[in-house]
Amino acid sequence: MTGSSPDTQILRRDPATPLWVGTVVLRLVTFGFAIAAVLVHQHGYQRPLLGWVVLGVMACWTAFTVPAYLRERRRPWIVYTDVLLTCALLMTSPLILAPGQYIDVPLITTVWASVAPVAMAVLRGWPYGMAAGFLVAVCTALARGVVNVDVTRDAVLLVGAGLIIGMASTQARATAAQLRRAMRTEAALAERERLARSIHDSVLQVLARVRRRGSELGGEAAELARLAGEQEIALRTLVSSGPQESTANGEADLGGRLQMLGTSRVQVSVPAQSVLLPEEIVSELLSVVGEALSNVDKHAGPMASAWVLLEELPDAVVISVRDDGPGIPDGRITSAAEEGRMGIAKSMRGRITELGGTINLETAPDAGTEWEIRLPRAAGRDGAEGA
Amino acid sequence: MMADPPISVMVVDDHPLWRDGVARDLSERGFDVRATAGDAAAAVRIAGTVRPDVVLMDLNLGDSSGVDAIRSTVAKLPDTRVLVLSASGEHADVLEAVKAGASGYLVKSASAEELVDAVRRTAEGDPVFTAGLAGLVLGEYRRMAASPDPGVATPELSERETDVLRLVAKGLTAKQIAGRLQISHRTVENHVQSTLRKLQLHNRIELVRYAIEHGLDEDAP
Repeated sequence: MTGSSPDTQILRRDPATPLWVGTVVLRLVTFGFAIAAVLVHQHGYQRPLLGWVVLGVMACWTAFTVPAYLRERRRPWIVYTDVLLTCALLMTSPLILAPGQYIDVPLITTVWASVAPVAMAVLRGWPYGMAAGFLVAVCTALARGVVNVDVTRDAVLLVGAGLIIGMASTQARATAAQLRRAMRTEAALAERERLARSIHDSVLQVLARVRRRGSELGGEAAELARLAGEQEIALRTLVSSGPQESTANGEADLGGRLQMLGTSRVQVSVPAQSVLLPEEIVSELLSVVGEALSNVDKHAGPMASAWVLLEELPDAVVISVRDDGPGIPDGRITSAAEEGRMGIAKSMRGRITELGGTINLETAPDAGTEWEIRLPRAAGRDGAEGA
Repeated sequence: MMADPPISVMVVDDHPLWRDGVARDLSERGFDVRATAGDAAAAVRIAGTVRPDVVLMDLNLGDSSGVDAIRSTVAKLPDTRVLVLSASGEHADVLEAVKAGASGYLVKSASAEELVDAVRRTAEGDPVFTAGLAGLVLGEYRRMAASPDPGVATPELSERETDVLRLVAKGLTAKQIAGRLQISHRTVENHVQSTLRKLQLHNRIELVRYAIEHGLDEDAP
């Protein structure tokens, strides 16, 4: 993929960027709240000066983290430091607040302390976010010196914020990763189509010509023609069908996949519209048809041709595999079993039965063999419209 | 064997190498190659002038569609037959071509002998069917039966026609089919012919209906 298009630039940004912006806003707002708290309560503090010092540290840290969290490259150590510093500042509260202020006066960091767990959740997802929230909650309890309703409620809110923000950031990243994958697949498909067109317009035309001309010249040229012809068919099949993607619901086009079995001696006929079946069933059918075809090679001889026909009936999918070999002579069924032919038939039958279908072998001396695989379909589904 | 006046042919393909090669193959074997063309518009125009018996048509004509060229040619020249000579992978296109009026289809990887034989049979009015095309036509009838068009009667295959098409799709020759179904060779050809005719007629009716619905009836084929 090229780096300059706006689409890819969006994809390269951290997908959690809006969450970072939210974190920064929260930090600024809560810092204002902290200033207000110190202004209101400073006269009751046992050490007002220390209160202003801590507020100064918070101001510096806020000023440092706002640009740091808005930058595209966020350094994890800043977030870890954020959590630890927040805890440390929180723990200064007993030194600042007068003993009588513990019940109704906020700790020196106020709600500003909630920002660090939120940042951790955005950076690392919910487990880290919850852990950081829990850590800040523990420090709050230590600073207050009691575990009362207020402290418990703060703890629940801190851990809950870590959980929810963390889940949001994890989800945002997962969605972006999915989008990137989809865009890569799309780009690969487009590239493939372009290649297929250019191969069709150049290489294939030449190969077809070589094949035609060579077979007329005969001799060594005919051999070259045969090789060119094989490559031509292989290449045509490759560029016209290609490895087809499964659809989103796990279905694949049986017709497209079957066509890839075509060679100079195997002709595959399929309907124009796709024949969609679940991916596992398509692979299983394909391997059974492949077995039938290799059977043709073994028993009908290397010169035999084979035809594969796929038909989609309203209630079933039917695949026929026929060869024009010598067929099985009447008396040979038993000896053929010893040769393994019937063994293969048995394994094919087993696999088709497993899928809920049937398979039949028809053969006669000098009439070739013909397998017919029939797989009933679940009622009420239409073949997808192609072309 | 060829009749006294040689069969006149026109070759349409956007690739000069292929086009000239096929033209030479046919001339060497006694065909009268009247013209060649490299795109659909030229093909229709020139065919109207030279009126060949058979037009050999590639479907992949650069940017233009061979299917439209077939439709115009067949509409203009009822005595000219179109044989599609195309790559094996272009399934939907081949089906469209046949529906538009092509009377046969041969893959480009066919040998020169097969090509010559196909051109002769096309000139005689016999359909040239590969197993692949039979599979497509069979699939098309089944698709139409499964989701019929409202308003137009859906063409159907008779039981015998279905049998014949299935056997063609499984690679049997007309002679083998005749033997297996115990009918004459000629009857087999007629059945194949009729499956094509019905499909082409249906296609024309649909086009006319479409044209009338969309107010384009002055140009209907």
